[in-house]
Amino acid sequence: MSLLVADGITKRFAGITALDDVSIALKEGERVGLIGPNGAGKTTLFNCLLGLLRPDAGSVSFDGQDITRLPVYRRARLGIGRTFQRVELFSGSSVRDHLLFAHRIRSGTGALWKDVLGLGLPKPAEIERCDALLESLGLGGMGDEPIEALSLGQSRLVEVARALMTQPRVVLLDEPSSGLDRAETNALAETLARIQSEQGFGLLLVEHDVELVASFTERTYVLDFGRLITSGATPEVMRDPEVQAAYLGDFVAGTS
Amino acid sequence: MTASVLAAGVLEDTIRAFFQGLPIGAGFALVAMSFVLTYKTSGVFNLAFGAQAFISAATYFELHVRRDWPIWSAVLVAVVLVAPVLGLLLERLIFRHIHASSAVAKLVISLGLLVALPELFKLIVDYNREQPFGAVGIIPDGTTVYRLFDRYPVTRDEIAAFVIVVAAALALAALFRYTRLGLRIRAVVQSPRMTELNGVNADWVSSGSWMLSSFFAGLAGVLLVPTTSSLGTVLEPTGYFPIVISALAAAALGRLVSLPAAMFGGLLLGVVTTQMRTHVPRDNVILAELQGPALPYVMLFAIIVFWPAIRRQVVGADPLLGVSPPPPALAATSRSRGMTIYTRIMALAFFTAVGIWTFGYANNFWISRITHSVIFSIIFLSIVVFTGLGGQIALCQVTFAAIGAFGAMQFAQRWDISVIVGMLAGAAIAAAVGAVLSIPVMRLGGIWLAIATLAFALFFHDVLVKYNWVGGSLFHGRGVPRPEFLGVDFSSRENFLILCIAVLVLVGVLVILIRESSTGMALRALRGSETAAESIGVISWRSRVIVFSVSAAIAAIGGGLLAMEERLVGYEANFDPQTGLFWLVIVVVLGTRTVEGGIQAGVAFVIFPELVLHRWLGLDGAWRFVLFGFAAISFARHPEGLLEHGKRRSQAMMQRMFARREPAVAAAGAGPAIDGGAETGDEP
Repeated sequence: MSLLVADGITKRFAGITALDDVSIALKEGERVGLIGPNGAGKTTLFNCLLGLLRPDAGSVSFDGQDITRLPVYRRARLGIGRTFQRVELFSGSSVRDHLLFAHRIRSGTGALWKDVLGLGLPKPAEIERCDALLESLGLGGMGDEPIEALSLGQSRLVEVARALMTQPRVVLLDEPSSGLDRAETNALAETLARIQSEQGFGLLLVEHDVELVASFTERTYVLDFGRLITSGATPEVMRDPEVQAAYLGDFVAGTS
Repeated sequence: MTASVLAAGVLEDTIRAFFQGLPIGAGFALVAMSFVLTYKTSGVFNLAFGAQAFISAATYFELHVRRDWPIWSAVLVAVVLVAPVLGLLLERLIFRHIHASSAVAKLVISLGLLVALPELFKLIVDYNREQPFGAVGIIPDGTTVYRLFDRYPVTRDEIAAFVIVVAAALALAALFRYTRLGLRIRAVVQSPRMTELNGVNADWVSSGSWMLSSFFAGLAGVLLVPTTSSLGTVLEPTGYFPIVISALAAAALGRLVSLPAAMFGGLLLGVVTTQMRTHVPRDNVILAELQGPALPYVMLFAIIVFWPAIRRQVVGADPLLGVSPPPPALAATSRSRGMTIYTRIMALAFFTAVGIWTFGYANNFWISRITHSVIFSIIFLSIVVFTGLGGQIALCQVTFAAIGAFGAMQFAQRWDISVIVGMLAGAAIAAAVGAVLSIPVMRLGGIWLAIATLAFALFFHDVLVKYNWVGGSLFHGRGVPRPEFLGVDFSSRENFLILCIAVLVLVGVLVILIRESSTGMALRALRGSETAAESIGVISWRSRVIVFSVSAAIAAIGGGLLAMEERLVGYEANFDPQTGLFWLVIVVVLGTRTVEGGIQAGVAFVIFPELVLHRWLGLDGAWRFVLFGFAAISFARHPEGLLEHGKRRSQAMMQRMFARREPAVAAAGAGPAIDGGAETGDEP
């Protein structure tokens, strides 16, 4: 059964239809890509899934529950994690703090009275957990670094780690390759693939880097001008002549 | 027959109120437009505007009234010379260097200037040397009355104000719309670095726009002389503060960027004020107050909260902002173990010495001063919570402190219940008020939140305090006893000081626990990035309500203790909203991120002016305000707080010394023990 389902999403901005009756679905443990040229509506769909935008028509459901009207933080608490295209980190905090915050909020132990009684201080077990995840993402030993000291690639990994600390059932990645070179993108993809197969969360990759999507995902949706033009197993979608000609350009045409 | 006479009367009243309102509104409009001009041209929310206006007005007053210069030459010097030069100085010395600072930093600096500039001016021209009377407007025979349609009276001052405002509005609109300078000014506000990349000298454009906006401040200053000082009194800077705040309501209508909206907003505000005075019955305290000074505050609050454009307004960020380095981490996070132990020992020694002196040798005066500084430390911890943890600025901590003080008083006097219970009840009420207040304002950005809370503080000050169930009677019945509980009588000075210290320690530990625990984590996440925080499930409204309530409760506890210490609620002396601005700046300047920052601010607020300025240096009380202004300016260079900055420097120095051989260690030991004891205060 599908975990995250968008059904017939339509969104208009001042007369322009950014999304027109778009439906996608994501199963637990699945790796799905969402591609399309700039302006296709990828980010709009992404924001509708996360609750930053409210669709004009259609619904979003998660694990069978209608979440179309839930605010962002409620969806996060249900188990939808995300990363940002332009890195959004907590300036002034250390790398480990990012993970610790996420863990705290997920575990829901944030009552004020507990803090006041001194029960809310970070526990050694929590710190160990954070460090273990950092280690497995290749950020071992960087826990105390201020977040500003990290490279862009490392910052993206911290975003992933922060999302993972909320124990998400799906993670939505918003153009993780933007700003990274090929080698950095490959390293990120490798780490993501490993963590994903270890932890088994569903993964929705919104990308315009076709190579990354082709190597990384099982299924792919293709958007253009706000409409879903095709979807299916990634290799087949990549071979679709319409997709190749219109959106993927020389890369796929040249390699296939 | 009678009905039509009545209707004609109402109509005539309405028209008269309209004509009375326009000139008042013209004053608001001029200030609002100048305010918008400063904001548009410098990106600074310039609360020092009132100070600039005052300086021009006072220069004019000094020259024309005291030195008998003709009006035209006095105005020429005050408005065409002094005002732009002041603007140029402010830009060159201060605002040029803080372009990249946060909006909040700019606000703090302008608050510092608001206090410091008039005092500095008074010191320079020896303004208070005598008290001659007769502040007069700049229009000759300004009080001459004309009758419009043979019926509605207006004065020459009023006509002149109206004409000048309309002319100014047209001139400014033309400047921004049709000239290259106008375009460049707008570009520089957005990003001086980006503009320089396009080949424009941003420094010169910035200087020019400050001179222009300062000129308008000066013009507003002299034009408003008839309204800010009742004729026959000395012109004082405090006269401009309410006008500036009221005019903010008009400026807010145009989201601080639209000059026409500011002008119409100002006129509207004036007309609405006089219409309400004419038509709304006065038999209810609130309705009566609404016709008086409180109306602009209510309108300001309502506009900020309900005007959708303001909530949607996104402050344009400089695209090249990332060029500046991020703020450094706290010194305490980087110091070695040896250093930590050393500073703790020094702090312990310092506090022991102060304790022995206080309880063994100090006279009543100094015990009372020390008690005051302990109490103000508690109050200032509420600012540490709100600004240091919450990352936002509220200007209504005075109000919460006053609620605590009134709580203690009301419970003790009305129901003869222990003042401690009263203080705690006051804290609970303040927390509830804070929670309620947080709901409409929580979506607001930094500056708007500050202004909305200031409007609330002014409303409390002008309306609510006058109610018996809030402030008690204004003239009597304000005695507050000191507490007695757990079988201990705290009425002696020494015992009460011990109680205050115990409360301070308790509150300090509480703040640290909150900061280091889940609540503090959520707040730090929100401060870092609200979008990202919500994406991991932080409930932003919940965190904001908590931070408002906790901070309000802490302020109220401090306020309650202050009332007990002084044995009365010294409302005017302690809890005036303008005092609140002073509180905020002193805490923010010294350091909001740590508990010791709040304590140092408490000590600095009470002890420093008395001990250093008055006793040691023998300086006039005005220097306190001037120094305060300079401290606020330093905030631009050290947004982490002055003491944090000093701490990091002395720590770096000492760590270098420790790294060397034996003799250096002794030398390092002597330094901070004298002046740095409080600085190196202990904090887990």
